[in-house]
Amino acid sequence: MDLDTVLQTSETLLQPLAESMNRPEPNRLDVVVIPENLVEAVKILVDNHWGYLATISGLDHPAAVEEGAEPDGTLEAIYHFCEGPAVTSLRVSVPYANPVIPTICELVPVATLFERELMELFGIVCEGTPTTDHLILPEGWPEGVYPLRKSFTGFSQS
Amino acid sequence: MSETPETPQKFVVPIGPQHPALKEPGHFEFSVDGEIVTGASVRLGYVHRGIEKGAENRNYAQAMYLMERVCGICSHVHATAFALGTEKLAGVTAPARAQAIRTIVAELERLHSHMLWLGVAAHEGGFDTLFMYSWRDRETVMDLLEAITGNRVNYSVNLLGGVKVDITPELADQIRKGLDFLEERNQHYLKVVTTDETFLGRTQGVGTMTKEQAFLTGAVGPTARASGVEIDIRVHAPYAGYPDFPVNLVIDTAGDLLARFVVRIKEMQESCRLIRHILDHMPETELTVRMPRRIPAGETISRVEAPRGELFYFIKSNGTDQPERVKVRTPTLCNWGSVINFAPGHKLADMPMILAGIDPCFSCNDRLISIRRNEQDPQLWSWEDLRQYGVQYYK
Repeated sequence: MDLDTVLQTSETLLQPLAESMNRPEPNRLDVVVIPENLVEAVKILVDNHWGYLATISGLDHPAAVEEGAEPDGTLEAIYHFCEGPAVTSLRVSVPYANPVIPTICELVPVATLFERELMELFGIVCEGTPTTDHLILPEGWPEGVYPLRKSFTGFSQS
Repeated sequence: MSETPETPQKFVVPIGPQHPALKEPGHFEFSVDGEIVTGASVRLGYVHRGIEKGAENRNYAQAMYLMERVCGICSHVHATAFALGTEKLAGVTAPARAQAIRTIVAELERLHSHMLWLGVAAHEGGFDTLFMYSWRDRETVMDLLEAITGNRVNYSVNLLGGVKVDITPELADQIRKGLDFLEERNQHYLKVVTTDETFLGRTQGVGTMTKEQAFLTGAVGPTARASGVEIDIRVHAPYAGYPDFPVNLVIDTAGDLLARFVVRIKEMQESCRLIRHILDHMPETELTVRMPRRIPAGETISRVEAPRGELFYFIKSNGTDQPERVKVRTPTLCNWGSVINFAPGHKLADMPMILAGIDPCFSCNDRLISIRRNEQDPQLWSWEDLRQYGVQYYK
C-alpha cells in the first residue's frame, strides 16, 4: 500500500471521533480528539492493525501572559502511531486545572512506560494506568514539580 | 496446632542499580519462586540528564551537539535524526554526498555497536574468549571512525545542512581494507555462535518471544527482527542516503537469544556490503548547504534506525533560533517492555543474558541529573560547586 492510501485509511477510520484533522506533512496525519474519545480512537487503530504506538509526546502550552487574564495553560499529549513511513498522531489537550487523560494500557501494554514519563515530566494524570511509580526522576523528587513544563527553570540556589 | 492464614509470599531479588548486566546503571526487581522468575519490574533514571529540557535553552546548532551526547555508543544517529528533522523544518535538503557520508558513518557505527554488544553478551554467557576477540576486532572499526572524523566516540560528523568531513579516495581504500578483515571475522563469529555446544546451551530456546508478543510489547530493532517482525526504518521509511542505497532487511523467526545473535551478525555483514556499495558510487556534490539560523514555526517527526532499533524524534519549532520542544524516544525504552514481559518463566541465572539480549543502552533512555547535598536541600550544583566538591573530596 502506498503512503497516501495508508493515511487515507486512518483518516476514514478516525473521522467519526475527530474534532479536527490535518496533514502537516505528506507522511503525517494529525487528529485532534477529546480525552473522552481517546480510548475509542486508539481501539479503532489497534483493532484495524493500523501501525504501532511509537511513543507519546508531551507538550506544555502555558497561557499567554496578559494583564488580568486567568492563567490557564494546557497540556497536550500526542500519541504517535507509525505504519511504515506514515504517522498518525492523536492529539489530546487538557487544562492545567484538570489534567486527566484515560490510560490506554489495556489496549497497548507498552504504553505504561510512556504514560509514566508523561506523569512524571508533565504532571498529566493517566487515569487507570497500572503503575504510577517513578520511572526516571529520583526518589525524593518534590511533589508537584514537573521538569518539562515551561515554568520549571531549575531549583533556586538556597 | 494453630492455623496460620496463608499469605502469598514472594521473594524479590534486586539486580542493580550497579552493573545489572552491562556496565551501566539500571535497577530490576525479579520476584522468584525457587529458581524460576515469576515477575519483573524496572526502574530507570540513574543517568537521566535532562537533555530534552536542555535543548529548549539552546540554539539548533548547540542542541545538535547536545543530542549527540544522548548516547556514547550511537551518538551519530542522534545527531542525524536531529539534523534531518531540523532541515525538514527549515525546508532545506542536505546534498547527496553529505547524505551518503552520513549513511557510511551510521553503518560503521552499527558495526562497532553490534561488535560491542557481541562481546558483552558473550561475556554474560561466560564466553570470555569471544568477548576478547570481538572487542579486539572492534578496534578496526574504531580506527576507521577515528580516521574519518578524528574521534572515536562522538564523531561529530553532522552539521545542520550537511556534514563536515569528506571521504577521500585514500580513506575509502583504508575503509575497504578494514571491511575485508571484519567480514572475514564476522563469518567466523556466525559459525561460532551457531555451532559451539556450550554457548548454544545458553542461547538456544532461551528468552523466546513470538512475533505476536514482540509486536504487542512494542519491541523494535534487532530484538523485534529476531522474532520475525518486519520493522526497519532504513527499509520502510528510508532517510539520509538510504533511498539511493537501499539496505536489505535481515530477519529471523526463531525469536530466542540465538536468533538475536544471528540477526545482529548478519546485519553487520549487510552493513559491510552497503558501505562498499556507497564507496563505489559516491555522489560528487558539495558537502553543505546554507541553513537559516531561525527555523520557521512547525512540527516534524524524524525517525531513524539506530543500532538498537527505531529512534524517534519529535521536534517543534517556534520561529526563533531555539527549539520549542524536542522529544526523544530511544529504542531501549521500547525494548524494556518486551523484557519485562518475557522474563517470567525463565531461570534467574538466565536474566543477565536476557537483559543483555536486547542490547540495552541506559544513557539513551535516561536523559537529568540532580545532585543533592542532603535530603532537605535539593538543588542543582554549579560547575564551580562541583569542582570545589571534587577538590575537597579527594584532599
